[in-house]
Amino acid sequence: MIARAPVPTRFSRAAPWISTLVRWVLAGIFLAAGGLKAVDPQSSVAAVRAYQLLPARLETVIGWGLPFVEIALGLLLAAGAFTRIAGAASALLLVVFILAVLSAAARGLSIDCGCFGGGGTVAAGQTDYGGEVVRDSLLLLLALWLLWQPRSRLALEPGPHERRELEDNQ
Amino acid sequence: MSSRTPGAPGPRSSRSASEAARRATEQAAQRRRDRNRLVLLVAVLVVALVGGGLGLQAWRTGRSPSAVPASSYADAPQPLAEGQPVRFGDASAPVELTVYEDFHCPHCADFADEFGPTLDAARDAGRLRLTVWPMSFIDEGSDRAAAALGCATEAGFGERYHHGLFANAQLQWSQEQLLELGRLSTDVVPDGFTSCVQGQQKAGWADSVDAAAEAAGVTGTPTLFLDGAPLPLEGLTPESLQSMIEAKG
Repeated sequence: MIARAPVPTRFSRAAPWISTLVRWVLAGIFLAAGGLKAVDPQSSVAAVRAYQLLPARLETVIGWGLPFVEIALGLLLAAGAFTRIAGAASALLLVVFILAVLSAAARGLSIDCGCFGGGGTVAAGQTDYGGEVVRDSLLLLLALWLLWQPRSRLALEPGPHERRELEDNQ
Repeated sequence: MSSRTPGAPGPRSSRSASEAARRATEQAAQRRRDRNRLVLLVAVLVVALVGGGLGLQAWRTGRSPSAVPASSYADAPQPLAEGQPVRFGDASAPVELTVYEDFHCPHCADFADEFGPTLDAARDAGRLRLTVWPMSFIDEGSDRAAAALGCATEAGFGERYHHGLFANAQLQWSQEQLLELGRLSTDVVPDGFTSCVQGQQKAGWADSVDAAAEAAGVTGTPTLFLDGAPLPLEGLTPESLQSMIEAKG
């Protein structure tokens, strides 16, 4: 059997570093969003409630639990453990956020997304659904990048080098 | 990568080849076991973090209220009328600040926290009276808290209770927490307060406040009026509010 060593291209050399950067940007945003919401559970529940999408009991559980899900995701991404799974979970979460904001806009609610704490009803002219959707969409692109290129540098997981060595040693 | 030398397929090399294959299989199995163990460990950590977070928030919203902030309160029993607000401060004070608020509205708690000392000072100086409309549209806790403020106002410690409600804005406001806040607000809790909270006697009044606020066109909280003129919260600071009050009074 002939092992064909992949020819390193400019892209294959850069991609793991880009993935590291992407991991850390997403990690920072999830940690900030989770942390800011976790300090104020009452606001967090009120922010979920403002979307008027869920039964009251579930609103409480989401309002209390979601910030810690975000923190857990942020920690996984920062460490570079299970990057593909963490990327998929981030993408899923961001799709849910985008749909929730779009639904609030479509129903004519006047709310703040509560993405980084706060949230709830705002005055009619104070909404920023466009900006919120654009921001979440950009973050979704980052999460999708991690699905495509999960191997990165400075990660707990084996990076491209170690992985190739493992394969060569077999 | 096959490196078998042609013409030398001895039994020794085939044995070492099978040995190498066996070792490779073992190594692969070990790697799989390590990975499975890591997956399990991380899954347990994630579940512990989220579960612990839920527990923490349940405790933070369910615990007893903490002390009411110290201030000079000049409370006296104040009868409430349907569809009418609660009033704090000297009735003859020249400037009136009207506040529409909800005890579970985060920005209302922020407002009370940031502007409270300024408002207290202006009230103490006899320049400001407060007209408070406690709305209850966020959740059942808002309902119960608004009704309990009604009870405390009639019992004679409304303003202290009002400060305590916002100082403990994290709480979900169960009946027990509302009663406990009453015990923290005043040395001797009148019997009327306890039975009023337990019997939800001011729930109808709280509903009438909501209806009146809606009739006044108030759609969100906090909504402010200074001497009847809308006061936007955007850009408002304690200093600017203080100079507005001083300019008027």
